[in-house]
Amino acid sequence: MKRIQKIMTTVATACLMVGNVLAQEPINGLTIIENVYNRAQPQDQQGVLTMSLINSRNEERVREIRQFIKDDQTVKKKIMFFLSPADVRNTSFMNWSYSEDGREDDQWIYLPALKRTKRISSEGKSDYFMGSDFTYDDLGDRRPAEDVHKLVREESINGIACYVVESTPRDDEYMYSKTITWIDKEKWIGVKKEFYDEDGHHLKTLTVTESKKIGNYWMITHSEMHNLQKSHRTRMLLKDITVDQGISDSQFSERMMMRGL
Amino acid sequence: MISDKGFAKIRVILPLVLVLSILSIQLVKKNSRMETDLDKYMPQNHPAFQFSDSAEARFNIRDGVLLAIESDSSIYSTATIQKIKDLSKRLAQMDEIDPSGISSLADADNIVGSDGTLDVKPFFRRVPTSQEEIAALREAVRSNDMVAGRLVSEDETTALIVAEIDDDLFSQEFYQELLALANEFSGPEKIHVAGRPIVEGSMAYLAPKDMKKMVPIVILVIVLVLWFFLRSIRATVATMLVVLVSTVWTFGLMAIVGIPIYAVSTMIPVMLIAIGVADGIHIFHHLKQVQKSNPQTEKTSVIRTTIKDMWRPVVVTSVTTAVGFISLVTSEVYPIKYFGLFTAFGVMVAMTLSLLLIPAFSMVFGISPIRQKKSGRNQPAMSWLVSFSEGANRRPVLSLGLTTVFILFSLWGISKVWINSSFLDNFEKSSAIVQTDSFVNSKFGGTSTINVILDAKSPDTFKKPEVLTLMSELQNTTVSQSPWVGNSFSLADYIRRMNRVMHSDSAKYDIIPNDQNLIAQYLLLYEMSGDPENLWKVVDGSFSTANVTLQLKSDNSKASNEALAIIEKYRNKFNEHGIHIAYAGSGYKALIFTELILEGQIKSLLLSFIIVALLLGLMFKNVQAGLIGTIPIVFTAIVSFGLMGWFNIALSTTTALISSIAMGIGVDYAVHFLERYRSEIREGRSPEKAGILTIQHSGKAIFGNALVVILGFLVLLFSVFPPNRTLGILVSLNMFLSFLGTVSVMYLLIRKTKLFTSKGGRL
Repeated sequence: MKRIQKIMTTVATACLMVGNVLAQEPINGLTIIENVYNRAQPQDQQGVLTMSLINSRNEERVREIRQFIKDDQTVKKKIMFFLSPADVRNTSFMNWSYSEDGREDDQWIYLPALKRTKRISSEGKSDYFMGSDFTYDDLGDRRPAEDVHKLVREESINGIACYVVESTPRDDEYMYSKTITWIDKEKWIGVKKEFYDEDGHHLKTLTVTESKKIGNYWMITHSEMHNLQKSHRTRMLLKDITVDQGISDSQFSERMMMRGL
Repeated sequence: MISDKGFAKIRVILPLVLVLSILSIQLVKKNSRMETDLDKYMPQNHPAFQFSDSAEARFNIRDGVLLAIESDSSIYSTATIQKIKDLSKRLAQMDEIDPSGISSLADADNIVGSDGTLDVKPFFRRVPTSQEEIAALREAVRSNDMVAGRLVSEDETTALIVAEIDDDLFSQEFYQELLALANEFSGPEKIHVAGRPIVEGSMAYLAPKDMKKMVPIVILVIVLVLWFFLRSIRATVATMLVVLVSTVWTFGLMAIVGIPIYAVSTMIPVMLIAIGVADGIHIFHHLKQVQKSNPQTEKTSVIRTTIKDMWRPVVVTSVTTAVGFISLVTSEVYPIKYFGLFTAFGVMVAMTLSLLLIPAFSMVFGISPIRQKKSGRNQPAMSWLVSFSEGANRRPVLSLGLTTVFILFSLWGISKVWINSSFLDNFEKSSAIVQTDSFVNSKFGGTSTINVILDAKSPDTFKKPEVLTLMSELQNTTVSQSPWVGNSFSLADYIRRMNRVMHSDSAKYDIIPNDQNLIAQYLLLYEMSGDPENLWKVVDGSFSTANVTLQLKSDNSKASNEALAIIEKYRNKFNEHGIHIAYAGSGYKALIFTELILEGQIKSLLLSFIIVALLLGLMFKNVQAGLIGTIPIVFTAIVSFGLMGWFNIALSTTTALISSIAMGIGVDYAVHFLERYRSEIREGRSPEKAGILTIQHSGKAIFGNALVVILGFLVLLFSVFPPNRTLGILVSLNMFLSFLGTVSVMYLLIRKTKLFTSKGGRL
């Protein structure tokens, strides 16, 4: 009798083990978002960003910015120099964001006409980036742990197989009540994202129109954010990108801001 | 010639009219709708309106509902600030209100800078509770004149919430909701609800509502006086039927062709009542005379003779009146065009019915027998009027002299007439609407706005220091020179504020910096830190067009014109920079609108005056008669406008239209009087005898007509809506003046020119 019991237990255990292997934990929302967040990024990069702001009357304002970014895991430093329009040329902007919990970004601006660097305070990540339809968070700085993620379905967009993840903020006060992201299953890169306002109304749609592999990294090069409520759009084009060139830390300083390009 | 028997068939008119009237009532009930969107009244393709509409769209210029929170001592307490925040939130939840169109202390942008930082942030996120926090908030507001005096009064007792709404969204229900909301939050603070949408909306609602209440009383009084004058219930009923049926058919036609009822359309019944009773009075008055002179004649024959004698003057008076109204189609304002056309239609219906319905009615219901008056009182009838007119005739120098003085005095008065496009002036001074408005005006810059649109063709014009400095100067001059302009706001205020906070909040730097690049960089900085949407309310994306908002403490035309006159002085200076000045906004549109109405009214008066003179000349085949016949109109028009000037009654949409009555009534009186006089002359009477008989006959009818309408319309003096009171006074005044002009100056000239006699020279 004891033997039989032992065999039974062994068989049952074996079955369980086999079952575990066969069923394999299904991928969940959080994992998908983490995969995107942790997608391999260059240590540093530089390029020219063209930002077009288009209002409801289709009037377009274009700004060209040369940007340098360096990320050493504890702090992500970014410095931007305006190339055009001419009246703001060499105006520069520097942002240091910290991975440390709760620590706010440090921001500086240099106005060449004033010949002085000013600290500007950032009240929050929900500030709009340079008058565009992107907030700092939208540009990819939001940590996965700040939201609850749920894989809602899988579907194809323009022939790209995607996971569709719905993310709800843990903080009720956050500017979005939820976001829905379409993520390329292969490249772990966003393809499309919908933002819903505090009242649950559709606020914005981000569409990625081009992603490129630069070096070993997948990067978004063309994207458009459409604010449906204000019928305002922002188009971002990234070109002349170089990565891992070993930009020195001294590049990200007030002195460099003042020196200009 | 139709036989009496054939004539009797006219009875079929009665059921026909009945059926058509019932159909009209059904149609009106089913299809009519009131037009309450004031924008629909404006000529949409007029350049000034097109420009204003496009500027309103570009800069998101909308009228705001104002909620003022008045505290006993200071708004700086946790409870009051909490109320400001909660009220703002509740307003944002209302369907009519776009949350981004709300400005209050709870969501205003505060551009701040202390050493080394610049930021655009709300004044508070959480409502401050400690004394220190509240003191800090107070200091923040005080030092920011983009908010101090705008959202918090200078004396700190009152805070303002502005909620912009689209023009067509205002309704009485929404207003009631706002009042309920204000009530809910009241105590200890008082909450006042004001703003242009409320004034406009209440007016569009109150005027017809008051009319609905008053018109039946007017009709009742007219019925009584009419009965008193005609001494016959049947005649009174028949006359009123004509007036009422013509009104009903007119509105029925409006419903058929799908034209909505505009506010001015509520004047149509007024016009038709005032003008329409004339036909009935003259017909029945004449009928009585026919009865008197042929006491034995049978009723069919009496009615026939009356209609035979009267159809000509009735048709001529009606056609000339209708022409007067049709001439209003020259107006650029659609509601006025429709008003003219439909009133003309109503006048023609009244004419047709007078000639068909009155005989039909009299055939069916009979005619009242003449009362046997005491013989002594019979002949000297209207003796006072005879002595008056004859007196005028006998002392021509005195009466012409007096008339000239009267006319000159009136012309002087006309020079004092002013146009008023104010909506607020339509309300009682003691009404809640006027009271809250003046309260808000006493605490803040002003409840009315004018938008000055500065338009340059080249981009970045509004980043130029000299242009911004000029803008700032324009604002300062307007605010300091005009007592009506309480505040102003433009891109220059943003630049000055930023220049100041970027220089350690030093008041010395509260100026436009003299460096275009710096201005551009400030603007970039603002876009990076604040909500750039606010910027696009004062300038467009290419910085080639700017919007300067002036806040006015009154919406009347004097205030607006005064402000505009100051701005006009800057036209050349802005021109030097290639900038064109234009205006926009609801207050400005109302100003232009009123001027357009007036212009159209004067054009149409002149036009119809010429046509009437021609028609009268044709009717009497005598140019002189045509000219003399226009005397009552000219007299009435000049004197009534003159008295408006003297009594400080401003020209507005309503008051301008009343001059149409001068036309309609003046012609009627002249035609009836001339027609009778001519027929008396033709019967071979001497001018003097003909004159006396005319006064006793037509003069009496005219007097009766004037009396009926005057007493009827004086009822409007009891209206709760001031413009309707003015309407009552002016209609009565016009009736009286037309009567006076006919029996004095016109009579005098008829006699002096020996009109219609063989000796009377033809021109």
